[in-house]
Amino acid sequence: MRCLTHTLLRRLSCLSPQCVPGRWSQILSPKQSSLRQSCSTRPGVVTATDVVNYWQKVFETNGIPEAQESSEYIVSFVLGAKTFQSLSSKSLRTPLTAAQQEQIQQLSNKRLERMPVQYVLGEWDFRDLTLKMRPPVFIPRPETEDLVSLVVEEESLMHKKNSGPCFPVSAPHPVILEIGCGSGAIALSLLHKLPQSRVIAMDKEEAAVDLTRENAHRLQLQERIHVLHQDVSYGSAKQLLLWGPVDFIVSNPPYVFHEDMASLDAEILRYEDLDALDGGDDGMRVIKTILALAPSLLKDSGSVFLEVDPRHPDMVKDWLQAHPNLLLVLCAVHKDFCGKPRFLHIQKQSR
Amino acid sequence: MNVPGLFHFASLLREVRAPGWRPWILGQKHFSLPRAPLLQAGGKKNSLNLLGLTEAELEEQFVRGDGPGGQATNKTSNCVVLKHVPSGIVVKCHQTRSVEKNRKIARGILQEKVDLFYKGEESDVFKERRALEKKKQEKKRRAREHLERKKLFKEMQQLDKK
Repeated sequence: MRCLTHTLLRRLSCLSPQCVPGRWSQILSPKQSSLRQSCSTRPGVVTATDVVNYWQKVFETNGIPEAQESSEYIVSFVLGAKTFQSLSSKSLRTPLTAAQQEQIQQLSNKRLERMPVQYVLGEWDFRDLTLKMRPPVFIPRPETEDLVSLVVEEESLMHKKNSGPCFPVSAPHPVILEIGCGSGAIALSLLHKLPQSRVIAMDKEEAAVDLTRENAHRLQLQERIHVLHQDVSYGSAKQLLLWGPVDFIVSNPPYVFHEDMASLDAEILRYEDLDALDGGDDGMRVIKTILALAPSLLKDSGSVFLEVDPRHPDMVKDWLQAHPNLLLVLCAVHKDFCGKPRFLHIQKQSR
Repeated sequence: MNVPGLFHFASLLREVRAPGWRPWILGQKHFSLPRAPLLQAGGKKNSLNLLGLTEAELEEQFVRGDGPGGQATNKTSNCVVLKHVPSGIVVKCHQTRSVEKNRKIARGILQEKVDLFYKGEESDVFKERRALEKKKQEKKRRAREHLERKKLFKEMQQLDKK
């Protein structure tokens, strides 16, 4: 199959029937008066529930996926809540102000262009943190929340093993390197859960580096993170050893098989950085780069934690066996909350 | 176990919205795995002594669909549906935008419901709710009395003026 460039993929996504460019969405998008008329309760009064139902119908008519969820998130956001379920029954009945309705309209118009909800709202939550989101920086997926749990559990095990009178408890631990930090979701969650940790986060895209730094500042974690603008494929290990060899390397590298890229949703193809997704023909390009670099970056018995495609565990195992000089061993494969093999735990053997 | 007396109590917990049995019910069932946020067996939740739940007794469902998941999907339905198989109690949680947090919250709510189910009035959850309700009634009563006294005082003042 011929290799499709990312610009071509984006253009192709715009040709699908579900894509309605600006003119169409103007025709189909409602005026405020028709919204008021459609409310069955009191005339001229519009509640949160009315607005959610209204926009849900508009989204459905325009073929926007997750019509109800999108509508709920937008309305909740304007009302200062995270989810519709978390709104009190009182706020559900309170009439919306004109300003609120206007804001909802503006946000919904963006959603009508298939903009992902996370970009529409400009923020999203990842575990305990609320992070700023901005296109085209990759939006963290819910599966990745478990990747953080894995690192935290491993640290807890390692810490128990190593603690004692001879272990310098005051030294920063663990030291973590994240490759491909995106919005900073993984790095900042780890810093948040592991108060003694330090993170070196890197990304080849400047927009991602900027966003990670911005989120770090918003969360007051900037003192414990170094964010580097660097491409793992071209840099040297030396620049990454600011704090010496690291305890963990963590990454959610681009792992989509190139042939699968064209079938991704318009939300992804049109707005997200496709380089954050495309892992090459077998989805392994960046995975292999990370593993090849890992031994020069890791302490003995240090670990690499990766999120991957469900087809990768066997492929990675075979590849590591074919490269015994790396002294890396696949010691565990963990499933995601949907039961798919998703996370790899690879350990560096001591010599 | 019948606990009818509970229904008139103000709900401590954020009750999940009655599900409209939306498309999610058609989605695939995904069993939970060891990676799930743990519930202590015989655990304490906020100093309440509640029956512990093990992951083996639970069935979890997510609206993630049949797709490839992971990077290839960007779905925002982070709703978690959690069922306690032995009792049949189901909890649906969409309180936050984080799946991980919703799973934790769902387990907490489910643990309280299961405890109520098996222990009824002996449950710490029941006792706590009843104590809170009593406090509320007591506060109302005192406020009412205070208003009565004020009214009386004002009436007496009027009489004195005459």
